[in-house]
Amino acid sequence: MQDLANASTQPCNLNKENYVIEMRNITKRFGPLVANDNVTLQLKRGEIHALLGENGAGKSTLMNSLFGIYHPDEGEIYKDGKAVKINNPNDATALGIGMVHQHFKLVEVFSVLDNIILGVENTKLGFLAKKQARKKVLDLSKKYGLNVDPDARVENITVGMQQRTEILKMLYRDNEVLIFDEPTAVLTPQEIDELMQIMKNLAKEGKSILFITHKFNEIMAVADRCTVLRKGKYVGTVNIADTNKESLAAMMVGREVSFSVQKGNSQPGECVLRVQDLCLKQKKEVLKKVSFEVRRGEIVCIAGIDGNGQTELVHAITGLIQPTSGAVYLGGENITNKSIRYRSTHGMSHIPEDRHKHGLVLEYSLEQNMVLQRYFEKEFQNLGFIKFKKVRNYANGLIQQFDVRSSEGVISAAGSLSGGNQQKAIIAREMDKEHDLLVAVQPTRGLDVGAIEYIHTQIVKSRNEGKAVLLVSLELDEVLDLSDRILVMYEGQIVASLDNSTKRSYSELGLYMSGAKRQKQYGGKDDE
Amino acid sequence: MNKFLKFFKSLFCSVDNKEPKLLTAYKKESTKSILSSIICIATGVLIGFFIMLILEITSDDIPTGDAVNGFFILLGGPFASKSDVMFILGDMLFQTTPLLLTGLAVAVAFKTGLFNIGAPGQYLMGAMVAIIVALGIPVKSEVAGFFVWLLALICGMIAGALWGAIPGAFKALLGVNEVIVCIMTNWIAANVVSWVFSVNKQFVNGAQSKSGYTIPTIQNGVATPKLGLDQIFKGSYMDIGLFIAIAIAIVIYVILNKTTFGFELRACGHNKHAAKYAGMNEKRNIILSMAIAGALAGCGAALYFLNGKVELYWNTYQTLPADGFNGIPVALLASNNPIGVIFGSLFLRYIEKGGFNLAGYTMFNEYVSDLIIAIIIYFAGFSKLIKDILSGRKSNKKGSMLKKLSSLFKKKGKKQEQDDLNQQNNSQNQVGDREVVE
Repeated sequence: MQDLANASTQPCNLNKENYVIEMRNITKRFGPLVANDNVTLQLKRGEIHALLGENGAGKSTLMNSLFGIYHPDEGEIYKDGKAVKINNPNDATALGIGMVHQHFKLVEVFSVLDNIILGVENTKLGFLAKKQARKKVLDLSKKYGLNVDPDARVENITVGMQQRTEILKMLYRDNEVLIFDEPTAVLTPQEIDELMQIMKNLAKEGKSILFITHKFNEIMAVADRCTVLRKGKYVGTVNIADTNKESLAAMMVGREVSFSVQKGNSQPGECVLRVQDLCLKQKKEVLKKVSFEVRRGEIVCIAGIDGNGQTELVHAITGLIQPTSGAVYLGGENITNKSIRYRSTHGMSHIPEDRHKHGLVLEYSLEQNMVLQRYFEKEFQNLGFIKFKKVRNYANGLIQQFDVRSSEGVISAAGSLSGGNQQKAIIAREMDKEHDLLVAVQPTRGLDVGAIEYIHTQIVKSRNEGKAVLLVSLELDEVLDLSDRILVMYEGQIVASLDNSTKRSYSELGLYMSGAKRQKQYGGKDDE
Repeated sequence: MNKFLKFFKSLFCSVDNKEPKLLTAYKKESTKSILSSIICIATGVLIGFFIMLILEITSDDIPTGDAVNGFFILLGGPFASKSDVMFILGDMLFQTTPLLLTGLAVAVAFKTGLFNIGAPGQYLMGAMVAIIVALGIPVKSEVAGFFVWLLALICGMIAGALWGAIPGAFKALLGVNEVIVCIMTNWIAANVVSWVFSVNKQFVNGAQSKSGYTIPTIQNGVATPKLGLDQIFKGSYMDIGLFIAIAIAIVIYVILNKTTFGFELRACGHNKHAAKYAGMNEKRNIILSMAIAGALAGCGAALYFLNGKVELYWNTYQTLPADGFNGIPVALLASNNPIGVIFGSLFLRYIEKGGFNLAGYTMFNEYVSDLIIAIIIYFAGFSKLIKDILSGRKSNKKGSMLKKLSSLFKKKGKKQEQDDLNQQNNSQNQVGDREVVE
């Protein structure tokens, strides 16, 4: 495998091909850390070039070097064959390089048009001359199929349209090299399809696209070539036509990775969690009469686009907020008004959405975090004095069992661990605690393929041991791979309940997620 | 000799595959805390010295050499006194008691993530209640005197605790910022004390020259036991109060670091969301933490005024006691460590005596010495920053001081380098994760 990957790594015909951007032998160090080690990237005119790598592989560093935010220690950058020096983003823009950041840089209270011309406004006697600009924007949007309303305010438009605004911003400045930093993270499946089409149109019109991602499906769908980085090193560049998902993943991680989760059929038992008519009213109605059940031995997943009430639903179930009305039953007992401690000691484990905010006390050591919910138990304290030896032994056992890696073992501060290991630590704590119900919210967010694989295995293991699992995820792949049953949430309501014993399709889920469809039992017209 | 050389070598170089001992010691959090406090003090002292030099050069009144001379007088503290060293030393130790306890009051609240700027108010309430109890119960015998003293001390603590719990309750139940409520309760306390003593004349010293002061509690036979300390430090007010305060500091240290209650308090202070998630009652903890802080400040006041000879200037409606506010720099200097507070408060009193001598023995006037003390206290506020720099938290791009230091020790093995790299990788990852989370 490794050899095969290496075979195609030779930078092919340096002089023959006409590259619009060439980054040769880029090395960038931060102290002793080498973020980019002799990396070469060649972008052909009119191609879609994917840049693939795990977290911390150096993708962002490389792109920031190209965009003038960092300055490489070694190596050269060529634009159309000429060596250039890019000192800041303004230089990059002048060279026709544009970037769509993962988090959009738009002024929320400005209109789409104002955002597009912001910084390059034409003026007449000191007044804005928007007429020409409007014409140019409309022409561009027609030419590339970028559907936007130039007069809508950014805060009122969808995420997809915001992204199209960002793309138009680049096109308006006549950029010819477009960098997309993880553009699909915030989109629904339908919007992703649209974006892919737009990217293809752009490439057809001669724009060159650099596309940072860690999702293989998207690379296979649109990219022409793909450059893979691993731990700062250049692994290789491959033609997408000659490769497949598995070998790309192997190049990225350095070993074989299995994509499909082996889990077998579920045999649901008694009901563990029952949510009934849960309503929550904050500034607006966040949850509207949500009811569902989770039984032993099944993974129920709540799918939906971010911000449709999933977070609040979990908070209401775990006790972080009080619902306005409705009830939550755990093992038949009404726990709606019980404390968080009560829920935690009566069989509820919770892997929180935000591991830094809720999951860990970052200043505490790993061992202290391991007993964060259990320090008061007889096992760990005597007359109010913590038994430090017991705590250490317990924590040592856990980090060995769950392979949590840290610089100084259990005494390292939780904040010094990598994201993946922090998550593993939380999972170790929650899995080891006696529980009937596991509530896991975005358990793999921001983690790399290896860690994701591990966490998925643990969740399936928990389910096979007869626990009830409630999973909330924004990643469709995760939803489809792991769950036995899928509940789709849209605007604070459940709009569909789908049996996932045979895998559902993206597009089907997408229709429910975007609110275009809802099942009959949830007040819709469709039969299902 | 050989052994000594070997030990010396092991301090700086890695011997037997162990890292240099100095490096091991340096890596400890506590070492960094102490080091950062010392750096702060040294910086403040040095800048103070430069100001003295500038004054010496620019002013005609100050003779040449006074700056250097004054610098050593300042550093000498009470020991630079030309007479009655024991008296001044005893005074210094006695006056440390209230400062130590207000320092603890601030530090405990800081540990729970609260800024207790209300120590002056808690201090005043503690003082008032302690004095009223001590003077209000007629004492017939020495034994009774001791029990009244104990009762007054406890009542003073309770008064402080209740006064401290008010901002705590506002914060926990209504979400009002504790700083605002603390400032308000300070002035309410100042006015309550003035009102109570202006109405109840039986506690007030009637002598013409003593207008605005309370009667010393010794007149009712109530005073903190001296156990001969007033004989050692002749002429001073020294009593066992300081030892009680030190014992309390140690108890607070144990509570914070060894008990489940302290575990909860600190968790709330570091990350109240995580504490809530873990099922801790963060509202109760906020109120309790402020109540404990108030009890400490009240205890400091009670110990000070129950000495017997000390009189409270009760006409306080326009001023707040400085000892309450000075608890803040003490806590900062100590990085909120209760044991550190003992040394922090001693240091502050020490340098104050130095400043007193500076004004007495050189041509620098008393305001200059106050100014220099203020500069030192000001720099105490930077101890957190210095500690962060020492730990490399402020410069995650360029690598930490620690790593630079460790690269100076040449003889490190491949493995350690690898570890360093991993750690760096980790911190990089973490930065990446944060971005995702945001």
